[in-house]
Amino acid sequence: MTSAVDVIVIGGGIIGSAITYYLSQERVKVSLVERGDVASGTSSACDGNILAIDKMPGYDSQLTLKSQKLLDELVESVDYDLEYAQRGSVLVVEDEKQEPVARDWFTRQKEAGLPMRYLAGREVFEDEPLLARDVIGLVECASDASLNPMALVYGLVEASRSTGAMIRPFTEVTRILQDSTGAVCGVETTRGVMNANQVVLAAGVWTPALAVAVGVTVPIKPRKGHILVAEQSPRPARRKVQEFGYLLTKFGGAEGRRVEAEMDRHGIAMVFEPTEHGNFLIGSSREFVGFDRRCNHHVLELMARRALRFFPTIRDIHIIRSYAGLRPHTPDHLPIVSPVPAVPGLYIAAGHEGDGIGLAPITGKLVSEMIVGEPTSIATEPLKLDRFDK
Amino acid sequence: MDDDTIVCRCEEVTVGEIRKAIRQGALDVTGVKRRTRAGMGLCQGRTCEKIVTQILVQELRKPIDKLEPATARPPVQPVTFGLLAEKSYD
Ligand SMILES: Cc1cc2nc3c(=O)[nH]c(=O)nc-3n(C[C@H](O)[C@H](O)[C@H](O)COP(=O)(O)OP(=O)(O)OC[C@H]3O[C@@H](n4cnc5c(N)ncnc54)[C@H](O)[C@@H]3O)c2cc1C
Repeated sequence: MTSAVDVIVIGGGIIGSAITYYLSQERVKVSLVERGDVASGTSSACDGNILAIDKMPGYDSQLTLKSQKLLDELVESVDYDLEYAQRGSVLVVEDEKQEPVARDWFTRQKEAGLPMRYLAGREVFEDEPLLARDVIGLVECASDASLNPMALVYGLVEASRSTGAMIRPFTEVTRILQDSTGAVCGVETTRGVMNANQVVLAAGVWTPALAVAVGVTVPIKPRKGHILVAEQSPRPARRKVQEFGYLLTKFGGAEGRRVEAEMDRHGIAMVFEPTEHGNFLIGSSREFVGFDRRCNHHVLELMARRALRFFPTIRDIHIIRSYAGLRPHTPDHLPIVSPVPAVPGLYIAAGHEGDGIGLAPITGKLVSEMIVGEPTSIATEPLKLDRFDK
Repeated sequence: MDDDTIVCRCEEVTVGEIRKAIRQGALDVTGVKRRTRAGMGLCQGRTCEKIVTQILVQELRKPIDKLEPATARPPVQPVTFGLLAEKSYD
C-alpha cells in the first residue's frame, strides 16, 4: 500500500486527533496512523480535567486559557457528546503550614486573570459540607471544566473523517523514512509504506523510540498514574476537588505535606472528579516506574487511604474499577510542540504530562499553524525541542 | 436483535448504540466499552459482555476467537474505600 498525503500524524491519542482535526479544517490532506484503536494509549487511562488552577502562572496558564477558548468552540462544532461540564474546581488547604503558600498561589492566579476565590473557616463547609472537618481553606477557580477524554478523541476523529482525513487504526509505524537529503518522505508501517513530506510524531510516551531511529533525542519519560472508579452514589463534593499538596507532588517542592514517606514515594495526592454518569473518580499517583500499565495494588490502597483523609463519608462506597496510565513527562513540565530542525518535515507534539487533555486543542491548532505557515496563536519558543540542548 | 433492546442494564446501552460504535471503528469489547460505556457499570460487564461479543461477531463477521479479550481492570469484586484503605497498613 502506497498512499500520498500531505501530512502523516503518528498516534491516535488526544494530541494526534486534535492535530488531525485542525489540519483537516484547513483542507490539508492528512492521514492519522495509530497502532491500536484510536484512544487506546494514555488518553484512555486518565481523567478529563481542563484546569487552569494548577498551572504555573505565566506562559503555562496562558497556554491553558487559549486551549480552553478553543475547547469552547469544539464543544459547539464537534458532533459528539463530550460530556463537557464547567463546574469550576477547588484546591483544599490542609493546615496552617500550607496556608501562606496557598494564599500566594491564589493571589498570583488572580493577578494572572483567573476567576479565583479564597474560602476560609466556615465558608469551606458551607461550600463543600462533606470535607473532613479539620481542613482550613479552599482555593477556587470558577472557569475550570471537565469532559470525557475518549469522547473528545472519537469526536475529533469522526469530524476529521467527515472533512476527508484518512484514519488508519491498527497500523503501527515501524520507521520514519528520510530521502537522500535527510528530509522526511514518509513512514513504514505494518501495512506498507505511506508517503508524505511532513510527519507529525504525536505518540505520547512512545515518541522517543521512533525519534531515536532518525537520530533525534526526545527527553520524554513515562510517569505512571492510577485512578479508582467509584460506583454511582451520592457524591461527596459537587465539583472537582484536589488537595493543595497535589501541586507539590506535581512540581516538587520542599514546602512538604504532613504525610508518611510512603505516600510521597508513590507521589500520592488526592484528586476527586465527579463524572456526568453519577459516579466519581479518585486519583492519583505519580512515579517513574517504566512502561508497565498494570495497576500496583499497594498504590491503590494508599490512594483509598488518602481519599478518606479528605472525604471520610465515602468509607462504604464501592470501587468498581481501577486503571493506570503513563503521563508523557518532560524535564520542565511543558510539552514539546516543535519542528525538528535536523530532520526537515518532521514535527514533534508530545510530552504533555498530566495536562494533555486540556492542552490538546491549542496543540492541534499550533501544529496546524506551523504546517500551514500561519502566525501561531501563542509564542512557541518555550515549546521548542532545542530548549533542552541549552 | 432489535436496535432498541438494552444490552447493558447498568449503563442502559442499547443494541443500536453498540452497532453504531462498531461502525465507528470498535473492533473488540474494549472498543465498544470505551465508546458506549457498556460494561462500565456496577457489574463491570459480567452480564453484558457475552452479548456485546455476540454483536461484534455478527457485525464484523469474525470468528469469536479472532476478537481481542476485554482488558481486565481490577478489582474483580467491588471493594469499599474503607476496606481497601485498611489493607495499606499491612
Ligand atoms: C492517571 C492520569 C490522569 C490524568 N488526568 C488528566 C486530566 O485530568 N487532564 C489532562 O489534561 N490530562 C490528564 N492526564 C494526562 C493525559 O492523559 C495525557 O497528557 C494525554 O493523554 C497524552 O496524550 P497523547 O495523545 O500524547 O498520548 P496517547 O494517548 O498515549 O497517544 C499516543 C498514541 O500513539 C500510539 N502509538 C505509539 N507508538 C506508535 C507507533 N509506532 N505507531 C502508531 N501509533 C503509535 C499509541 O498507541 C497511542 O494511542 C492524565 C494522565 C494520567 C495517567
